[in-house]
Amino acid sequence: MTIRNVRDHGQRYRPRMACLKKVENVVLEMQDPKTGVKSQTQRLVITTIPHAITGEDIVAWIANRFKTDAAEARAMGTMMVAFGYIYPLQDHKRLILKPDTSLYRFQTPYFWPAQQWLVEDTDYAIYLAKRNIRKKGMLELYEQEQYNNLYKWMNHKWDFIVMQAKEQYRAGKERKKPDRVVFDCQERAYWVVHRPPPGTVSAMDYGHDRMVDPNMEEVKVCIMFIQQCIMRPRVKSSVSIGALIKYTTTYKEHDPFLHTCLPSSPWITDDVTYWTLNMPNVETPTKMRVERWTFSFGELLMDPRGRADFRLFLKKEFSGENLAFWEACEDLKWGAAETMKEKAQQIYKTFLARGAPRWINIDGKTMDITVKGLAHPHRYVLDAAQTHIYMLMKKDSYGRYLKSPVFKETQKKAYQYILCMNCVPQLCRFTAPVPHLAVYTGICEAQSTASPGLMTLPNSAACPSPISVAIDSTPASERRFDGNGGPSSSHFPSIAEASVSEEEKQPPAPKSRMALSLSRLLRRGCNAPSVFASLSPKCAVASGGGKVQPLGVEPLAQPQPRRIANFFQIKVDIPPECRIYPIDSEDEEDDSADTARGGVKEIICPWETVTKQDGAG
Amino acid sequence: MPLCNNKVADDGTSAQPLQEGKAMVDSLIKVVACYRHLASCIGGCTDNSSLRRDLRQTRERAQTLALSCRNHLTARLRDKTLPEAERKETELLWVAFSSCLELLHADMCKVFTMVKHFSLANNSTMVQTGIQGGTTELAARALSLPDLQEAGGSTQTSSMEGQEQSQLEQEIAQVDRTLEDMELKVNVLRWTVEALGPQYADPVSTDSASLALLSIDEEAAQAFCSRSQVFAAMMLCGVAIFAVVLSVCVVFLV
Repeated sequence: MTIRNVRDHGQRYRPRMACLKKVENVVLEMQDPKTGVKSQTQRLVITTIPHAITGEDIVAWIANRFKTDAAEARAMGTMMVAFGYIYPLQDHKRLILKPDTSLYRFQTPYFWPAQQWLVEDTDYAIYLAKRNIRKKGMLELYEQEQYNNLYKWMNHKWDFIVMQAKEQYRAGKERKKPDRVVFDCQERAYWVVHRPPPGTVSAMDYGHDRMVDPNMEEVKVCIMFIQQCIMRPRVKSSVSIGALIKYTTTYKEHDPFLHTCLPSSPWITDDVTYWTLNMPNVETPTKMRVERWTFSFGELLMDPRGRADFRLFLKKEFSGENLAFWEACEDLKWGAAETMKEKAQQIYKTFLARGAPRWINIDGKTMDITVKGLAHPHRYVLDAAQTHIYMLMKKDSYGRYLKSPVFKETQKKAYQYILCMNCVPQLCRFTAPVPHLAVYTGICEAQSTASPGLMTLPNSAACPSPISVAIDSTPASERRFDGNGGPSSSHFPSIAEASVSEEEKQPPAPKSRMALSLSRLLRRGCNAPSVFASLSPKCAVASGGGKVQPLGVEPLAQPQPRRIANFFQIKVDIPPECRIYPIDSEDEEDDSADTARGGVKEIICPWETVTKQDGAG
Repeated sequence: MPLCNNKVADDGTSAQPLQEGKAMVDSLIKVVACYRHLASCIGGCTDNSSLRRDLRQTRERAQTLALSCRNHLTARLRDKTLPEAERKETELLWVAFSSCLELLHADMCKVFTMVKHFSLANNSTMVQTGIQGGTTELAARALSLPDLQEAGGSTQTSSMEGQEQSQLEQEIAQVDRTLEDMELKVNVLRWTVEALGPQYADPVSTDSASLALLSIDEEAAQAFCSRSQVFAAMMLCGVAIFAVVLSVCVVFLV
């Protein structure tokens, strides 16, 4: 059934067709006998047809009219041809403007592209049928296919189509021969524009139709809201650049790509610990995450764990209704349209009405606006109130939250990965499948200064991914290390993870705690380091300064004991098949070569043995 | 062109109502086809008051035909006693009729907008489309008149144009209403209607002349220059051969 009810395809639904009106005016200007384009006659075998124009004339006219150069004029002419206002007489399938003596003609206004009318398939079917009448088998392959398709789905009116095609053909024969030829050319050009052959780019391709009238009230409001969201007031570039710098310095260490990702980057290794630890509703967040909450109130709210913490704090302060209202407004804004009215009413009853159970405190003007808007609720009706409450929370509660015991508690409990320089005299390999890692309490001196300091480890500078735990990751990292220069050799980051316990214990060296250093062997010829971190403060960078990363090394060397004090350690359940291979350089080379060839690696965790060797390391 | 291939529409004495309906629908289709040809000339260099007049007359004819068609078909389809085969045929006619009317509606809307832009009274610029001839034969075909007097081209004033515009608007609205009425009164399920005719229309007559014009236009236009050169070369060769033959004959005779 022809859909007749979707009749209006006006400008407001297809915004990209706004240029058509302007092109039409230009075309009309070209018609002027004095100032327009020069026209000539086209000579066919039997007859002549007037009003043909050459490509070069068109280009010259456009260049003269718009005071542009020839290339620009040619592009504009091509656009006019592509839209179908001018059609080529030779080579009719290529809708471009050739700036030579090839001939073109103006299209009759009946066949001009129009925004209001959709190009009907019925007309196309009639046109193809007509072409078939004139000469059987004249349809091209793609036209043939389309004809068959149309026959299938417009089957009910096919008799009409055939009849109409015949009648149009006969009516055409009433006209004089040159006119018939011209009309056929016009129609053919029209359909080349609107049903382009496959593989050609059509100028009529404007994207999707908008089925919603943008002038509707709700859509207008939505558009306004989005425009305000993206609106940026103009600022001096120095100010904006300063803001950018501030942002990058603040967030630079929190970016897993730009900075070391601990324990290991899940995008490089196969260890997804990083993601598991940073799940949205994890019980204990990581330190980095908690630090991000201190950056801005928005960060705190956007993080579900942070929001939960904040909610807890507000509950203790008996001002939880603000956050509840804010969340309800968010739900209204982003929720489904059908429940919107009920939600709005619910919110009003719970938060805004006089004597409501969770009455929020907003100023009179905002309350007026909101209540008025609630008469005709839509998505953004509570926007003003929400913003007011947001600002209230930000200025008032947020500051108090950051100083509150709730937050401090969360901070203390937060996990942290740190890297530490250590030196163990032996190169060791260890096998420890990662899932065996167990986290347990270790020491922590929760220092906000320490954490950033820790993060500026030399790793980032030279070593791409010093931490590799998984077996399959080692070849890559080894290769990378092999490709590295000398200095990266000696540093073995040792990653330990533990939760902070209440008391700050001094790291008694080995006892039952061992730091598991999960790095890989670095250099050949690196004699110094083993992969184990020991808790002993006596651990010195054995490789000496030469092999140590220049960046941040010196401070690291100094606070080495202190940092070690900040270790979080992993206790590893050692499977009985663990072995240790003390390796010297030659072995390492062979093994590296082996690895490079893709052999299976074994990581051995010689906990007990290392502990004993700790004194040496 | 003789008008003898017109299907006679106004003959009210046809035997069966089915044939009558078919004849009416066929003539409507013919008139709509002519209307489309006429509409394609609007805004072109041959746009003048006689074209507008032809358009108007064709349109009026189409509307009267449409009215009678509708009444006839509606009456038949609402007739419960219609045998099944005839009902199917009538439904086919109904679908053809409604599609035809939709085509007419679309054309009328296009003419309406175009006439607004290309107003004769205001001497708007017309597009040089290359059409040369008039459209009187088309109108004559549409109106089924053996010949049409070419009424003197009366200049149209803007008030006349305005009148015509409003009349056209009314007629468009009327066709709109007709279409809606039709849908309401008679329920013809489009998916149950199957076409009886062939997929491909038979070639009516090999119109070699215009075909030749167009095909030459398509293919040889690039080689147009070389074509004339080849032609000249062949002429020369022919002349040379003729001269050789003559000289040989002369030699032999001598």
